[in-house]
Amino acid sequence: MKKEDQFKSRVYWNPYFGGFLLGLLIIFTFYITGRGLGASGALKSVVVTTTDVIATEHAHSNKYYSQFLDSDDSPMNNWLVFEALGMLFGAFVSGAIAGRLKLKVEHSPKITSTRRLVFALVGGALFGFGAQIARGCTSGAALSGISVLSTGGFITMLSIFGSGFLVAYLFRKNWI
Amino acid sequence: MGPLIPNGLIPIEWNFVISILIGFAFGYILEASGFSSSRKLVGVFYGYDFAVLKVFFTAAAVAVIGLYYMDYLNWLDISQLYIQPTYLWAAIAGGFIMGTGFLAGGYCPGTSLAGVAIGKIDAIAFTVGLMIGIFAFSELYEVLEPLFTASNLGNPTLADSFGISPYMLILGFSLCAIIAFYVSDKVRAKVKKVIY
Amino acid sequence: MSTDYKFKKFLTRRYQLLASVLVLLAVGLVLLPKRIKNDGVSPELFVNNVLSDERFISSDDLADRMINKDPSMILVDVRSKNEFQKFTLPGAINVPLENFLNEETLPYLDQNIYDIVLFSNDNFFANEAWLIGNRLGFNNLYVLKGGLNDWFSTIFNPTVPPETANKEAFDLYDFRKAAALYFGIGVYEKESAPDVRNASPKPKKVTPAPKKKKAAPEGGC
Repeated sequence: MKKEDQFKSRVYWNPYFGGFLLGLLIIFTFYITGRGLGASGALKSVVVTTTDVIATEHAHSNKYYSQFLDSDDSPMNNWLVFEALGMLFGAFVSGAIAGRLKLKVEHSPKITSTRRLVFALVGGALFGFGAQIARGCTSGAALSGISVLSTGGFITMLSIFGSGFLVAYLFRKNWI
Repeated sequence: MGPLIPNGLIPIEWNFVISILIGFAFGYILEASGFSSSRKLVGVFYGYDFAVLKVFFTAAAVAVIGLYYMDYLNWLDISQLYIQPTYLWAAIAGGFIMGTGFLAGGYCPGTSLAGVAIGKIDAIAFTVGLMIGIFAFSELYEVLEPLFTASNLGNPTLADSFGISPYMLILGFSLCAIIAFYVSDKVRAKVKKVIY
Repeated sequence: MSTDYKFKKFLTRRYQLLASVLVLLAVGLVLLPKRIKNDGVSPELFVNNVLSDERFISSDDLADRMINKDPSMILVDVRSKNEFQKFTLPGAINVPLENFLNEETLPYLDQNIYDIVLFSNDNFFANEAWLIGNRLGFNNLYVLKGGLNDWFSTIFNPTVPPETANKEAFDLYDFRKAAALYFGIGVYEKESAPDVRNASPKPKKVTPAPKKKKAAPEGGC
């Protein structure tokens, strides 16, 4: 019984099907709103708002934050933030239907879960840093960028995956 | 015609409602395709699971073909869509750092949100890390600004930059995608299986 | 074992089919004949607009609006600069026909707040200006019927209605005479009628209204 559950929870969609639906979603998004998807922008809004709440003066004097703080509207009132909320909800529903809701740390059996968490944190920091420099992440810049044949998106995508392949050897202990 | 909200065909107040729905669909598709699992995501770099490649290329190919067909049929005006600006050095440097972060953490922002939603603690750690990284960037903004704003090439599309007709690019991209799918299946058959 | 093999073969066939559909669609995009996209009004609508008469405004109406100082109206003289300086209607701005699409004057023409009345000596050039504007989708363009020639003959030299005409004709005649007085008969040089010309030395400040301009959408990650 448990094995069946375990098996069932690992049944994912056919990747081509998922990609097809995602492509349709991108077309739909562009058709209705004229912009593509995005993810890291929402987190940036969270950071900006938090800094504004905790240390308002510093936020306004900092050159980067002040770009997003000038209007009297909260930076959380942003398309990406609502989309991110929708993403959380959608992923939750999908996980619930497939029986994948479980609080756990997913790691290779060869490493400890603490090591996994540390690497996740460091990886997140690096990724967030890089996403701000490149003005986009894989979904916003790479995916939506390629969908309109944008040069910036193309370069970003090549850069991400290219460098990923280059450093994969260094991190192999964590995964395989 | 065209992108509906920028042309006023749908009142702009619907923008946020629609964004939630789009986000819902996006999160659902990501999670159902398995992208809430970090080990599945990095599989493309080690050759044991190419789901990322398949989803990515299929989505991009379907989207670009669909958008250009709609443009041809005059249902959509491609020139009105958002095409992101190209900052050459920023894209390359940022991409490098992102690639390293991807391999270390095993997620990307969109998939980490999907992971958070189903309760993966490492996804939560990744998201916290993302925010720390964004915070660090804004603190160091003064130092990094030259890199950030270097060589702004405007908003070119690939067709503009390389002078090839966009339709040939789309054809080339589709062919590359098919070849990539074929090769990935061959590679996967040869690589040692990983159970996750 | 054999069912496994059959399953796998079928799978490959199915994917081959899907892959070829994708490639076919992409090839289709390459091979389809390229259409030229028209910006602005569609041809049918344009013909409709040209054939209808609603763009014409008569001299009487124009005089009426000017006397009542209608704030929502701007007069545009499409003749050359020389002719504009020799004589023009009070408060008019000069946009010679060849400069119709110039950057500085375009905001006056391409907006939704003010009505633009185009005029020239006859209405030929003004009509041409209207055709250009209408084709580009400008909404508020009107043409002074008969142009300045008609203006002179009705306002400054109104025909006296015969004895047997009805009251309306006489009212119109009175109106025209009053208008002639208002505008100053025989205004040919700038200095001879200072009060009328300086009353509105330059046209109103036009703020290009938030028209249906194609704004670039925001975006980013």
